[in-house]
Amino acid sequence: MVPQLSWYLALSAILFTIGVAGVIIKRNVIAMFMCVELMLNAVNLTFVAFSSFFHDVTGQLFVFIVMTVAAAEAAVGLGIIIAIFRNRETLDVDDASILKL
Amino acid sequence: MLVLLFILFAGLAIGCAIAVVAQRNPLYCAISLIGVFVSLACLYVMLAAPFIAAVQVIVYAGAIMVLVVFVIMLLNVEQEERRRSRLGFLVPVAVVLAAILIAEATFIIWFVDRSPVKPLSNVSDTGLTSSIGSALFTKYLLPFEITSILLLMAIVGAMTLARRIKEIPPGGAVVPGAQVLPLHMFDPTIALDDTRAVAAHGSNEVAEVMGVPDDHDPTKRD
Repeated sequence: MVPQLSWYLALSAILFTIGVAGVIIKRNVIAMFMCVELMLNAVNLTFVAFSSFFHDVTGQLFVFIVMTVAAAEAAVGLGIIIAIFRNRETLDVDDASILKL
Repeated sequence: MLVLLFILFAGLAIGCAIAVVAQRNPLYCAISLIGVFVSLACLYVMLAAPFIAAVQVIVYAGAIMVLVVFVIMLLNVEQEERRRSRLGFLVPVAVVLAAILIAEATFIIWFVDRSPVKPLSNVSDTGLTSSIGSALFTKYLLPFEITSILLLMAIVGAMTLARRIKEIPPGGAVVPGAQVLPLHMFDPTIALDDTRAVAAHGSNEVAEVMGVPDDHDPTKRD
């Protein structure tokens, strides 16, 4: 017996749900950022699983581009986090509820 | 054997993911997230995608997490304090809805597993670097170029966001190459040990102050 496609999809769904729960529960903006990264990785697992089980390289190219977007998001997002911290001296999202630095 | 490996790495991934959410110290969250990334890389190897696994370790567990840990240490983030929950009656509603969702997902997976699927052949070169590279630079060249432009925009955006703007006075301009001179060079009555400085914008201004003829004429540029 080998791992089936549905096993990978179930694992991906579990990881994505944990990521969503983290984004909702967490109040620290860096922790929320890391939960978003977790969700991106869950989707990447789905892409790679489908790509591997259907022998199609397109899914892995999607993963490549998702990783690039995640790197760009990390650079810009952490820049925004530093700007918020510099202006408000806190990383709590409840204290940064207006869209203004 | 493969099933055992799958259970090991899937359990590791889920455990580390729960730790990401449950920890209150952001640094422990980051380290748990690295655990998730590494176990997902092992699953990618099991799925015959070695290139994606290598990129996962290098880009995610290497670059992005180093950036996150650097920001955590730079900002000296304190632990989240425990607060009273504001949800109230929404908690049991959420539990019921989550149970329904899990039941649906389980039914779907069970149903899909029962349906007969013709398995493809085991031999494939899908995950190899050469097949990914040839697809990326022929059929998917335009998304690749768009990705590079996205990275350029991210570099510019991050620099613009993280720069300290407040230290430059309103109306002030930063002149590249502006030269800073000691004040007694302008006024000989000031003592030599006065270390106050003035700025001169450009080499012709410096030459004028120091009494050196400036033979460089910017209007006669060839």
